[in-house]
Amino acid sequence: MIFITNGIGAQNVSVKGFVTNQNGEPLSGVSVLAKGSSKGTVTGNDGTFQINVPQNSVLILSYIGYIAQEIKIGNKDQSNFGIQLLADKNEMSQVIVVGYGTRKKSDVTGAIVSISEQSIKDIPAANLAQALQGQGAGIDIQKSGGNSKPGVTPSILIRGSRSVLAGNNPLIVIDGIPFNGSLNDLNQDDVASVEVLKDASSTAIYGSRGANGVILVTTKRGKTGKPVVSYNAYAGTVRNIGEYPVMNGPEFALFKKWAFANGIYTGNVPKYTGIDDPRLAVDGLSAEEQEGIRTGRSTDWQKLIYKPGSITDHQLSITGGTDITQFSISGGYFKEIGVYPGQDFERFSIKTSIDQQFGKIFKVGLNSLNTFTTTDGESANPMAQALRSSPLVSPYDSLGNLVNEYVPGSASQVWNVLGNFLPGTSVEKRKRFGTFTTLYVDVNIFKGLKYKFNAGAEVRSDVYGNFYAAKTSNNQGSQSTSQNRSNLRTNYTLENIVTYDNSFFRKHKINFTGLYSFQEQKTQSNDFRNTNISADYLQYFNPILAGTLIPGDPDNIYFQKWDIISYMARVNYSFDDRYLLTFTVRSDGSSRLAPGNKWQTYPSVAAAWNIYKERFFNVRPITNLKLRASYGSVGNANIDPYQTLGLLSPIVYNYGATTTTGVFPTNAPNSSLKWEYTTSFNLGLDFGLFHNRVSGSIELYKQFTHSLLLRENLPSSSGTPNPILKNVGKTENKGIELQLTTVNITGRNKNSFRWTSDLNIFINRGKITKLANGVTKDVANNWFVGYPIGVYYDYQRAGIWQNTKGDTLWAQGLGLTVNGAGSVIGQIRVADLNGDNKIDATNDRMIIGSSEPDWEGGMTNRFGYKGFDLSIVTFARVGGTLKSTLQGGGFVNTFQGTYNNLKAHYWTPTNQENYYPKPNANYTNTPMGSLLGYFNGTYVKIRSISLGYNLPKLVVDKIKGRSIRIYATAEDPVILFSSYRKKFGGLDPEAAGSSSSPSVATLGVDTPSTWSLVFGINVSF
Amino acid sequence: MKRIFVFLYTVLFAALLIAGCNKKLIEEPQSILTPAFFSTTQGFQQGLDAAYAGTRLFWGNQDLFTITVIGTDEFKRGIDGNSDVNLYASNYTSQTGVISANWRNAYTFINTCNGLVDNAGNVSGISDVTKARMVGEAKFLRANYYFTLVRFWSDVTLNKNFQSSPSTSAVRDPLADVYKFIIQDLKEAILVLPPGPKSSGVLPGKATAAAAKHVLAKVYLTRAGSSASVATDYDSAYIVANDLINSRASLGLGLLPDFVKVYEEGNEENAEVIWSVQHTANLAYNGPNNSGVSNFSADNVLNHMWVPQYEKQPGMIRSTQYGRPYIRCTPTRWLTDTCFKERVNDTRYAKTFQTVWYANNPDPAGYPKWTSPLPPGAPPGAVVGQPKFAFGDTAIYMPGVDKTNAQIAASRYLLMPPRNYNNTLGPTMIKYFDTKRANLNFPSIRPVIAYRLAETYLIAAEAAFMSGRIPEAVALTNVVRERAAYPTGNVAAMDITAADLSVDFFLDERARELCGELTRWWDLVRTNKLLERVRLHNPEAAPNILPRHILRPIPQSQIDAVVTGPPYPQNPGW
Repeated sequence: MIFITNGIGAQNVSVKGFVTNQNGEPLSGVSVLAKGSSKGTVTGNDGTFQINVPQNSVLILSYIGYIAQEIKIGNKDQSNFGIQLLADKNEMSQVIVVGYGTRKKSDVTGAIVSISEQSIKDIPAANLAQALQGQGAGIDIQKSGGNSKPGVTPSILIRGSRSVLAGNNPLIVIDGIPFNGSLNDLNQDDVASVEVLKDASSTAIYGSRGANGVILVTTKRGKTGKPVVSYNAYAGTVRNIGEYPVMNGPEFALFKKWAFANGIYTGNVPKYTGIDDPRLAVDGLSAEEQEGIRTGRSTDWQKLIYKPGSITDHQLSITGGTDITQFSISGGYFKEIGVYPGQDFERFSIKTSIDQQFGKIFKVGLNSLNTFTTTDGESANPMAQALRSSPLVSPYDSLGNLVNEYVPGSASQVWNVLGNFLPGTSVEKRKRFGTFTTLYVDVNIFKGLKYKFNAGAEVRSDVYGNFYAAKTSNNQGSQSTSQNRSNLRTNYTLENIVTYDNSFFRKHKINFTGLYSFQEQKTQSNDFRNTNISADYLQYFNPILAGTLIPGDPDNIYFQKWDIISYMARVNYSFDDRYLLTFTVRSDGSSRLAPGNKWQTYPSVAAAWNIYKERFFNVRPITNLKLRASYGSVGNANIDPYQTLGLLSPIVYNYGATTTTGVFPTNAPNSSLKWEYTTSFNLGLDFGLFHNRVSGSIELYKQFTHSLLLRENLPSSSGTPNPILKNVGKTENKGIELQLTTVNITGRNKNSFRWTSDLNIFINRGKITKLANGVTKDVANNWFVGYPIGVYYDYQRAGIWQNTKGDTLWAQGLGLTVNGAGSVIGQIRVADLNGDNKIDATNDRMIIGSSEPDWEGGMTNRFGYKGFDLSIVTFARVGGTLKSTLQGGGFVNTFQGTYNNLKAHYWTPTNQENYYPKPNANYTNTPMGSLLGYFNGTYVKIRSISLGYNLPKLVVDKIKGRSIRIYATAEDPVILFSSYRKKFGGLDPEAAGSSSSPSVATLGVDTPSTWSLVFGINVSF
Repeated sequence: MKRIFVFLYTVLFAALLIAGCNKKLIEEPQSILTPAFFSTTQGFQQGLDAAYAGTRLFWGNQDLFTITVIGTDEFKRGIDGNSDVNLYASNYTSQTGVISANWRNAYTFINTCNGLVDNAGNVSGISDVTKARMVGEAKFLRANYYFTLVRFWSDVTLNKNFQSSPSTSAVRDPLADVYKFIIQDLKEAILVLPPGPKSSGVLPGKATAAAAKHVLAKVYLTRAGSSASVATDYDSAYIVANDLINSRASLGLGLLPDFVKVYEEGNEENAEVIWSVQHTANLAYNGPNNSGVSNFSADNVLNHMWVPQYEKQPGMIRSTQYGRPYIRCTPTRWLTDTCFKERVNDTRYAKTFQTVWYANNPDPAGYPKWTSPLPPGAPPGAVVGQPKFAFGDTAIYMPGVDKTNAQIAASRYLLMPPRNYNNTLGPTMIKYFDTKRANLNFPSIRPVIAYRLAETYLIAAEAAFMSGRIPEAVALTNVVRERAAYPTGNVAAMDITAADLSVDFFLDERARELCGELTRWWDLVRTNKLLERVRLHNPEAAPNILPRHILRPIPQSQIDAVVTGPPYPQNPGW
């Protein structure tokens, strides 16, 4: 037998197989080569191949953008041999999108994170921002204020916050044109790839608009070939991740008694003899509450409110084309129904793109994204009322009817929130319609010289209305109210781009890009309100049938226009693909700055060295090594228009029956407002080991921002009540980012076990280095030289003042009241920092934390086995201080005892509790209560777990499909290591700054965070 | 060749796009007004309207109420009142919000007034006479804002001119300088303002010479008790106030015969009123729940401040007539029992306080029933198991004198002698009640009377006493006291004599006449009686009040925001 095998040698086996990507979609054009021979073939359009090779050969399958695989063939014919190739995220010949063009990854000189379609697909999220979380180093995506209502977009910070006021939102560019809509106006199923530009060299080309980083979104376009029809869908349920821990009936009854016993005095004499004083059973408790105590009632109000939500998504697309015409059409529908009644979000989207070649010179393309979204209940948040509702009373009367009134025993402050859910009583609706259309004309003038005209127009209309009946928690039995807001925004961009590409003497390559662009945005917005609407069913639709018409909020009534004009030139030069250089210069003019300061020029330079291409470099395991360095500057003027001019605000007065509208100065003018200017230095190293089975990059950066656009609070005595917008100060940011991709176990084929990991870790440190006029400490504005923007400045907690002789004397020594209703005993104790035997705000507050985390990171693990794939996305945020008004300063943790409170082991004269203060009916908020709101911000979150299965080809063939994948995904299923959640009863530690204070992460009291479980299917024909 | 044309057309097309775009960078706002508007005819008028509107943030707003009414000998904290300010305990600090609100609002509208005074020269299209009058109005208002500041904080920053380039440094100017500026403003205003509120063409709420004189007299009287006092202050106060009193007939002013009419709803433009701060019945600019400052203005919520929790008593529900129970304060026992002890000849107790509530709950279920056995002394007709009283009957009554426990137990309704007053229920000050607002939870639509002639008499009387004009002091005081006898009291019995006069007497008399009228805390500080009287009469605050409390703390927000130049000094002891 041995002889035969050896002797014949040519005893071939026939291998028929097919190659797919991780989604089970066929890959055509994959090279299939028998190792050590010249025998080879490529896969066809359907991904199949056939090859005859000697027994026990090894097949090498390779394809650009995928990790090559070697597969051993046995000694038998194979007729249905499935092989799956894994995408290579750091493949150097991969082409990625950069500003105004594309580059081969090996030619890139800047810091760019490229996120593939696959990564986006792994998480069936409501919008693109959610899908990007934890996917790239330096990209910090957080829920705004912990808000997880349907239709909410998270906030995105790239490399920390630099600007304070001019916004930290990155520029979103879709198919080359700046996009001003919300990420909710985009269907992530239409996205082919996302590139995030981080350093100055990469973003310089976007000039001022790119100061906070740039997110380049490329949408799917048609491909040459047989039309492909794909259908993707998923559906599932959404649940609240828990309930806020408030007291139950008996706990609350006792708490209320303590509040009265501790707080009601005549002079220094307490009214009650102690917690057992029989009068306490009557004085603080309403008749209904007393009955509740007798009957042992304990109402869980939250249970009556939350309900399971749902989530649905459908996407149908057709792409195809010939060599001269390519097209792509897709339609999508998404709907999420929240856990709080009346909250939902719905999106319809249609996208069309067409690319047409005319002869050899012209190419024309058009891409149109159209969405219509409806958001219900976006600001519905009676949680402060729901959580405060007395658990001793029932929302229903003895007949089971809803008591649509104040909850008894809550000082007529808390309305029965279940009244909000009666049909038609609470309506809040936002409808957005938008179209974003881009058009280009490519002109191929000479070889290498191209002109491109790129135009984009965005028109977005946003109509908002709300109505609350009289008997809702909003109006608390007063009159019904309604509000109408409308907003129409038009935005257009025109760009002229000239590019020139050439090579000289073989090894010198040059690429020039020149740009002129103009952008204008106009927004008009209106707002009016009504009260006492004639009939509830009229809602907000008829302002005439209402008692009173009220002008709306001045912040919502405006017309604004701004313009930006830019010139840009960029030269890329490379020698032998080893040495790469990029020079960019951009000049921006902004209408929003003061005359004389409107224009600013930003240069930048970057270089890269492909070390692995050097002849001298021959370190075996290293298959890729590239060093990059860039230095450059960008500006920021992303402020509201007209800030240089000052403002008079309206105020109404009347002389008897004569009503007048007066105006008074509220904002001071600033005739020297100029660009905020950031210079940054970036050093990067890209590497690949073991045929890129280990690959990644390390970035080091430092950024210097000066002329920071800051809104400065002035002393009230200046007479200007609103802060003034100024260029002051300097900040610095530095950081390290590591991105690592490893193929831990590469499976032989789809039946073997496979494991790949993506890991990213990023550390950012920001600090203020200078403020105006040599000031080092600006408490009113929370700015401190040497500290990051977004610190917390407050007293230092030092436990609770105990009812001991020592503490009493000590408190007295500090001038604190130790007797009567205002006694500090049992209250939060703070440190006398300067030791002057006095507690005062000027001397005894300090920086007690910062919202800046120590580090953040994300990890994605993908496993595959026999058609199954499992991916787990984890996100960690470690360190930093979290501020939560739920616990500190909000309505739900006042310790007043008038309303229900967060469950807390509060101080009593006998328990010596040293964290939570005493209940005290005398104070509407426990003194120093804000100090209960600071927590360690560390948490680790499983962002998603997704299990998929690619149906066997046999099944797929039967229905003449190309691939079918089914999957189940749990999103946000687990929060780990969060002391805020585990120890202090918070629900979700994920917070981000609001628009007014972007850098200070604060959690408020809101409808609870959610997790979801969905089941989905991807089919393509 | 074709390529050349393509190139040329491309260049031409691109050039056309670029041309003429720079004009696009000029800002031309279309929906906002900028400070330049102030020097136009229209802008000047609208600026003055805004300067008036600023007064609403004080008279009618909760902020001024909180720091002038409670924490005094007259009123202590109701259960839902501000415990920091009333108790003077150590939780009352420079960060107490109500303090900074008053500070900020005063400076904001001082700057508005400064803008008017400074810009007047640039405004055309208004006659010189009109312009001078408008500048006088601005000065009157500015003087009021500064007067508010000095009485709370003593030395304050004195901005005499419009602050167009805002600064992060500030200093506290000497009290004497600020007083000088106030007096100068008022004197200049008197010269150009129309004589009085009844003069022809004067709209309700407008500044007049009479109002400026009243304030000027009060300023002299207050300065006299301050560290910036000038020897002639009591004289000046007497002369200015007396001058106003003597010209009352020609101005159409005079005390109303009946004290109760002064506060009657709808009678806010009566002959006794010298200056009022207007509030509106126009619902577009009123309520609901605007207890703070909205985008348009601040509402008058004084109607809610005193209302007790009557609605928690059997037979009672919340009503527009009885008001919304904010219960921010309740009278001290000294005020009701001692200060208002005389209730036969002096009718003001009955006309200032509500002491009886009639059952208004249409639902018969909530009414209390007689239980077995009937209490001794139960009224005739009391039947076990039957309701004690019915809709429309007395539900709560405060006789103002003590009753035995047996009498209380035998009463049909809630009988509440003084010893049972508490922080949820007691005699209720009714001067600001408003039954005509749109909804029971809505704020008041009534103007707030800031200055009235009865106070002018008391200022003149006190100034006369302090400057040794005893007979004048007696005569002026008796004018006010005699009116209080109307209609049933013995007028002569109301008269006092020189022997009765003292600083304490004037404070007592002011309490009887002006109780609750947003001036008490200032009066106690002015006479240096705050500590003494709070310790005597306000049991909750008594153990805590300290010498530092005669000034309000400089708001921490002010201290924090002064980041250049020397630090902004805090008041002593804070």
